[in-house]
Amino acid sequence: MHRPLHIAGGLISLSLLLLLSTCSALYEDQIRKFDWRSTHVGAVKQVHVDLNHFQPRVLLSTHEQVVASLCPKSGEIVWRQVLEQKARGDIKLLQVSGFSDDSSDTAAAPVGSRLGFDMLTIQGHAPALVRGWNTNIGTIEWEWSIIPLNTERAQDALWFYSNSVLYHVVPVWRSHLEVTAYFATSGHTTGTTSKIMAAWIKTDSCLLSGTYFVCQDGKQLISLDLLAKSTQVIATSLEAEPTDKIEALAGLNGVLIANKKLVSVNKDQAVCPELSSASYVLGSFNYRKVVAYADLADGNLKINAVYLDNCSPVPELQMSLAFAEHYGTPSLRSFDCKLKRNGDGKSCLFLFGTSAESIVAVQQGRVRWAREESLANVIDTQFIDLPLADTEGTLENEMKGKAVDANNLKRDIVSAFMRRITTQALQIKSLFLHVIGLGPPPTDTQRAGLVRDSFGLHKMLVLLTRTGKIFGIDNIAGKHHWKLYLPNVSGFENAEEMRLIVQRSSKHFPLQPLCAIVAKFPSSGNGVLFRFNPITGRAAEGGLLQLDFQIKQIALLPETEKDFVKGILMLDATNKVHVQPKHATPLADGMYLYTANVKTAELEGFYVKHAGNDLTCTPIWNVRLGGHNSEQHIIGVASKNPIEHVHSQGRVLGDRSVLYKYINPNLVAFVTQAPDATHKSVLNLYLIDVVSGSVIFSMTHRKVRPPLHIVHSENWLAYSYFNDKVRRTEITTIELYEGNAQANNSVWSSLQAPSMPLVERQSYIIPTIVEALRETITERGITNKHVLIGTASGGIVEMSWHLLDPRRPISSTTQGREEGAIPYIPELPLPTENHINYNQTIARLRNIYTAPSGLESTCLVVATGLDLFVTRVAPSKTFDILKEDFDYILISIVLVVLTSGSLIVRHLASRKLLKQAWK
Amino acid sequence: MWTKPSYALIVLLSCILSGSWGFLEHDSWISIDLHHSLSPSRPEYFSHRGNISIPSLNAGLSTVLQNELSESELEELKTLSQQNGFYRLKATVTYPNGNTQRFLTSSKACSLLASQLNDVLWISLDAYGFVTGITAAQDPTPNGSGCSSEELAQIKEKRFRSDVIIRHAELAPVPDTGSFIQKYEREREARERGEVRDNRGFFAKYWMYIVPVVLLVFISGATNQDAAK
Repeated sequence: MHRPLHIAGGLISLSLLLLLSTCSALYEDQIRKFDWRSTHVGAVKQVHVDLNHFQPRVLLSTHEQVVASLCPKSGEIVWRQVLEQKARGDIKLLQVSGFSDDSSDTAAAPVGSRLGFDMLTIQGHAPALVRGWNTNIGTIEWEWSIIPLNTERAQDALWFYSNSVLYHVVPVWRSHLEVTAYFATSGHTTGTTSKIMAAWIKTDSCLLSGTYFVCQDGKQLISLDLLAKSTQVIATSLEAEPTDKIEALAGLNGVLIANKKLVSVNKDQAVCPELSSASYVLGSFNYRKVVAYADLADGNLKINAVYLDNCSPVPELQMSLAFAEHYGTPSLRSFDCKLKRNGDGKSCLFLFGTSAESIVAVQQGRVRWAREESLANVIDTQFIDLPLADTEGTLENEMKGKAVDANNLKRDIVSAFMRRITTQALQIKSLFLHVIGLGPPPTDTQRAGLVRDSFGLHKMLVLLTRTGKIFGIDNIAGKHHWKLYLPNVSGFENAEEMRLIVQRSSKHFPLQPLCAIVAKFPSSGNGVLFRFNPITGRAAEGGLLQLDFQIKQIALLPETEKDFVKGILMLDATNKVHVQPKHATPLADGMYLYTANVKTAELEGFYVKHAGNDLTCTPIWNVRLGGHNSEQHIIGVASKNPIEHVHSQGRVLGDRSVLYKYINPNLVAFVTQAPDATHKSVLNLYLIDVVSGSVIFSMTHRKVRPPLHIVHSENWLAYSYFNDKVRRTEITTIELYEGNAQANNSVWSSLQAPSMPLVERQSYIIPTIVEALRETITERGITNKHVLIGTASGGIVEMSWHLLDPRRPISSTTQGREEGAIPYIPELPLPTENHINYNQTIARLRNIYTAPSGLESTCLVVATGLDLFVTRVAPSKTFDILKEDFDYILISIVLVVLTSGSLIVRHLASRKLLKQAWK
Repeated sequence: MWTKPSYALIVLLSCILSGSWGFLEHDSWISIDLHHSLSPSRPEYFSHRGNISIPSLNAGLSTVLQNELSESELEELKTLSQQNGFYRLKATVTYPNGNTQRFLTSSKACSLLASQLNDVLWISLDAYGFVTGITAAQDPTPNGSGCSSEELAQIKEKRFRSDVIIRHAELAPVPDTGSFIQKYEREREARERGEVRDNRGFFAKYWMYIVPVVLLVFISGATNQDAAK
């Protein structure tokens, strides 16, 4: 009896291995069929439009530490270099030759490379990296660096360029300035560091304008020419104290923008002081220097310009155009005109950076192109089902009607029959009208092709970005269907970002889907709700709602019966609870909430009770993970995806018994980290039931530090971290089991739960740096779970759970083999064919989001970072869909031939029988 | 009846586990003061329930001293469970250096009464021996034994009987390169000595020979039948 089972087990493991070894990679002809990528550069920091180069270009540096060149005609990226992250890569200066800040070298001067460089950038402070670029192809031609003696002071260092020399200005606040000059291309110093006494310099009020170091002190501007022979301090008084920070006007030596007006601290440089505008920029037109300025008034963008020498307006450059609201407030960053097309101003390109982090190019009185750079910082995403087509909608209605009136069946049959007849008659009528061209015009969504497909693969991808701009993007075509911009929202304390919540899905047909954004109002700190329709992108239910309390925690309530809206339960800073919309309040009864303070690592649990139209919130538990002196900080919190279904309740062991999974939907993983005296850095993992507040399991890693990435699903957990001792990234996986019996298999109750699950754990080495982890999710949870691992090199590796399984046996026992577990190998394989984004590298990959499609086999994936990548994966292969190269013709021919063949043969056989009977 | 022995087993198991995986480098003692809130009308009033002293966290043995509930307190607890309220327990932990930390835990008053005031206090420790959380839990009661007034009337027990279980933080696994290399070396040596023993099953080893033979048998059987006809 035992033998066949054993054999079967062997076969299973063999086939499993075979399955694993066959990859799920794409074929060459499938490239870009299911996926698309959009590349971004980030919010613009410095930009130069240059239309007079032999290759017209837009050179820019961004806040995402990217240097790029854009095509001035279309805004496409010609080349892009993603540089070092964080403070090390911070771009301090972008200097394009021919655009020198030196006043003698006018912007109108012909571009030459006699200066030894085409473009140079300066990044970071210790070391400060100076790089010379070839702007045609985006390669580094030379590089030098300096390490300042005092790295702390150098953090505030400023740089300026003048006549082939780079000046490094280190302010020592309230004391002096240290100025060192370097030859720009070689990095040799031209002399010693000169110290200029300046006790008047203060942090946060000083800047460089050309060669002038300027500080604002109340109503005065105190300035000093760093290149002048005499160190004479010049004081310039302003009309009023500036409300905003003062800015320098690039290109002019010693000219600043204060109170929307131009101010010159340089005696040799006259400006036009009567202008008033939000943004200015210097350029040239008809070989004369002009100052262009632009302002937004009543949704119209007005661009004006004056000649710098006599302040007379330039009528050719004057224009006014409608400016879409979703771009936010524009600020003019650069402009240039073609020299050869004389005089009409039509060839001038104005480049704007906006508060919604868009880059907008304006030419000839219209928006020539716009780049949505806020997509470089996506913080939340949702896949929304598209609405049904009208005909399907009425059918759906009919089904719903049936379900409601199911109790009085007799009348229902007749009425349902009548309804069916009428709807079909209407359908025929509309079809007829459609054919003869008299039908009703298709709705907006239908015209845009936004109709649900039969497999639920076509969805609306709603993306929320850090600036508060929201996008509705087609997940198949990548088209931006709508954009919304919320100017006055920000993320929460504890580094919590804004949230995008689906309050009503598309399932309730006549009612439109509803999404909400939960954010903070930056000036008051109170909460803000913004409700909108995710298909059309229009505000719904009153749109923006200012709350009169601070939000500490939010939870979603179940759907109301009236309008199927999931209410939002909010806990405010004083531990009171609120529900939005109000009519969902009774549903909050019996809810549990928890809060986690990142700094003190203290967790608190609350119980919400609804009694007499009033919500009360009682604290019921607390947990302190902070250690004795709160030295531990929470660095990761991972709960399970609330829409997850677990299909298989157990795992079949080698001896055919079942090991039941510990599936606790209330289990949340918390990771804390603190420096340690003996072990350098300690990382603790806690698994806590957030309803009962009991610590289910805790585990300590020694000599381990962040970056931490964690994924929690079903009965397992996987997290990656950096091992300081052996200097490599590792992944630890945990599986929880109840044992051989299941305590309560129908309803889970955390208050009556088995207290000690069995914990299986294992660690693996991963030969890459992990940037994001996410599990795949499908409609019913039947398909295998894979873990998507985002790597620092911009790839996404799809890894089967079989490889991460903590039950992989170390010695190849027969039991492990029968269970289908692969023998333990410490290092996880990363085969190239498992990279789901093949060569579509995602720069600065930050997060991966997954969502189920209508097909059980397929999971929709969106990876965000500097770039955006949308694709779909099928962890257990596409078992419920025909291959796209399926030969329909062949199978139809075979079917027809077989059917006709059998008919002919039957006919022949009957004739033969007849003949035989006659014999 | 069945839960008791299995429960003892868990306690024993946890002692073994805590002995083998999680132990503290610097053992210390703690004492815990327990206060509970029984009155549904005054939820913020906590009365003294008892105290627990644990002389050695590594040994995990404890002395539990608890007050008996007064008649009125038992009645209050019964009212609380009729309202399906929470029995809230406040635990104040005192460390050897005099520092104190306060913890809160709750359970349904009903399940506490149904278990005849028997409860288990789980004390979770972090890697340094500091308490992270205290949970009072009851053995899961079989479904249906609720808190109807008849059932509540029968409950006369006033003495708490508490078991204290200490849960230590465990040490996380590290990638097991050593045993993998050893295994690899052993296999290599075995291969060099030529005594690689195939311990696969018979069928797994010879399926490639068996399957064609079986197929042949089938085919020949089918053709024989045709011939016989």
